[in-house]
Amino acid sequence: MLSIKNLHASVEGNEILKGINLEVNPGEVHAIMGPNGSGKSTLANVLAGREEYEVTEGSVIYKGEDLLEMDVDERAHAGVFLAFQYPVEIPGVSMATFLKEAINANRRARGQQELSPVEMLKFIRSKTKLLGMDEQMLKRSLNEGFSGGEKKRNEMLQMALLEPSLAILDETDSGLDIDALKVVADSVNALRSPDRSFIVVTHYQRLLNYIVPDFVHVLFNGRIVKSGGKELALQLEEKGYDWIKEENAVAG
Amino acid sequence: MPTAIASEHIGHFIELYEKAKALSSPAPKLAALQDKAAAHLEEMRFPTRRDEDWKYTSVRQIVSQNWALGKATTLSPEHIENAAIKDLDDIRFVFVNGQFVPALSTPASQWPQGLTIKSLADALEGEDSEWLSAKLEAHAMHDNPFVVMNTAFGQNGWYMEVQKGAVIEKPVHLMMFSTGEEAFVQFPQLWVHAQTGSEFSVMEHYLPKEGNTPHFTCAVSCLRLEANAHVHHYRLQRESDTAFQINFCEVEQERDSVYSSYATDLGGAIVRNNQNVLLEQSNTETHLNGIYLINGEQHVDNQTFMDHAVPHCNSNELYKGIVTGKARGVFNGKVLVRPDAQKTNAFQQNSTLLLSPDAIMDAKPQLEIFADDVKCSHGATIGQLDESAVFYLRSRGLPLREARTLLQFAFLGEVISNMPHEPVRNFVEKLVHDKLYNH
Repeated sequence: MLSIKNLHASVEGNEILKGINLEVNPGEVHAIMGPNGSGKSTLANVLAGREEYEVTEGSVIYKGEDLLEMDVDERAHAGVFLAFQYPVEIPGVSMATFLKEAINANRRARGQQELSPVEMLKFIRSKTKLLGMDEQMLKRSLNEGFSGGEKKRNEMLQMALLEPSLAILDETDSGLDIDALKVVADSVNALRSPDRSFIVVTHYQRLLNYIVPDFVHVLFNGRIVKSGGKELALQLEEKGYDWIKEENAVAG
Repeated sequence: MPTAIASEHIGHFIELYEKAKALSSPAPKLAALQDKAAAHLEEMRFPTRRDEDWKYTSVRQIVSQNWALGKATTLSPEHIENAAIKDLDDIRFVFVNGQFVPALSTPASQWPQGLTIKSLADALEGEDSEWLSAKLEAHAMHDNPFVVMNTAFGQNGWYMEVQKGAVIEKPVHLMMFSTGEEAFVQFPQLWVHAQTGSEFSVMEHYLPKEGNTPHFTCAVSCLRLEANAHVHHYRLQRESDTAFQINFCEVEQERDSVYSSYATDLGGAIVRNNQNVLLEQSNTETHLNGIYLINGEQHVDNQTFMDHAVPHCNSNELYKGIVTGKARGVFNGKVLVRPDAQKTNAFQQNSTLLLSPDAIMDAKPQLEIFADDVKCSHGATIGQLDESAVFYLRSRGLPLREARTLLQFAFLGEVISNMPHEPVRNFVEKLVHDKLYNH
């Protein structure tokens, strides 16, 4: 599915990622944890194609293709989805218009027929219902005036509608109360399938009580310094990140 | 010498006036007014960029041309039907090259009750409009030469009187077509007198001309709202990019009246709009909405003037535009709150997206406040598209062009959504959408 090799990336000349290696197979859930400033969000954004991040070395192969050569929208068409840490508010673009445009843009790119307005509404309704969202929300401007929880729920709605092969959740759990957190976890769990993979970037272990990962990686200072199973997350919860920092300070 | 050149240009229009007189002779009162205007015009000069009000817009290219008067001609009924606004049940007035064409217009027998429509000459001969004759006298001696010129030439003006308490459901739709190879000038004139408690909607619609020969529209509209009258006034300008327009609109509001304007400028080479509103009595509401979407070498200049002369009046201005290519937009919004106008609420917002390195926007909000118990604000922003929003949309699969178009559309949508007639709103949305996509 995804193969990251020796990935280096910089923002405004500062190197943030210093050689990431990661293999994600179909159906797997990988959790990326780490202290603030370790490069977690940078990794998520580089995969989504944000232009401020410059890849200086290394490769990312997605389904056999060079992901770094693809435009932002092409990555979406190929099935890469980023749930934003800070979803953007866009006044004047209604949720309904946005979802319709996004769904049909992906269908066109994949050579599928666009959905008729009736099919579209039916499809969107089936997912809003699943997420316990009020349909009135479709009339509102995209993310404008949404609470933190509503914004994250909206990211999950988009994920459900776009049915990606690789979903990257960038600290989707930050700032959420337990109910909102469960909605996020339920959305991910509902979509888990043998041909769909997830990278869950999180600062806290709590989300991983609900989304049980196959692998946990600890990112520190731009590198993955520790990998393990779900028990690694519990260890981090118990001991914090200091022992990682110390270990690496000694090793470094 | 610039002044000499300017008066020489006036001379062309005086010659044209003599020609027009030789061709037709209006009723005596109108003829006298027009002669008066022409005589005044002869003493005037056209403004230059040294005049403060015309600092950003040069009219040299317009007034230095040798214009002919629009030739009477007609178009096929199919042509009119194809240009109609879908689902809009309207009272149509069709003009071709500035000439009224009754055969293509809604017949008088179908004009609604409560609405009296007369030609300017007829209205003036009648005893019923002191207001009209007083205003025309003032226009003949106006300090703006384009207003004077319009008064001298305007023969196809219409006077619409909405009777007391009448609610006219169907909007009056003035469709201005132009056709043919000749470069011509036209002088549309619209008069609306909305009596106490009446409701009325009117739309000036300037359609694109086929072919590249330029024409010049010098338009004046004048509206008076009596107590508690409600008027919606659309101006939809989508002429070809070789057309010139100078508009002058004057509104007078009596107590409790509500005036809303919706000005959309999509076409034109050089366009100048003056929108003046005088609040004569208290508790009025005024909404001025404007859109400009220009590219290439288009130039659109909007000047508004809200004159708060009395207490307890509310005005709200929202002008938004997108300027690309080498186009230039101008917004000069003046709000005057006179010493007596306590408890005034006056808001003004002008926002522009400037989307190319050579595009220019001049925004000049001007608040002059002489009362102390008022709420007034103004804002002018000039910016680019929000790149984080573009990224967000693209990350959901929208191609770059579609993401940018959607955001531009949303930007102008705030103004379009204020238009109360759904068919008009849909029509303007489609025009804006098409122009954004064909950039």
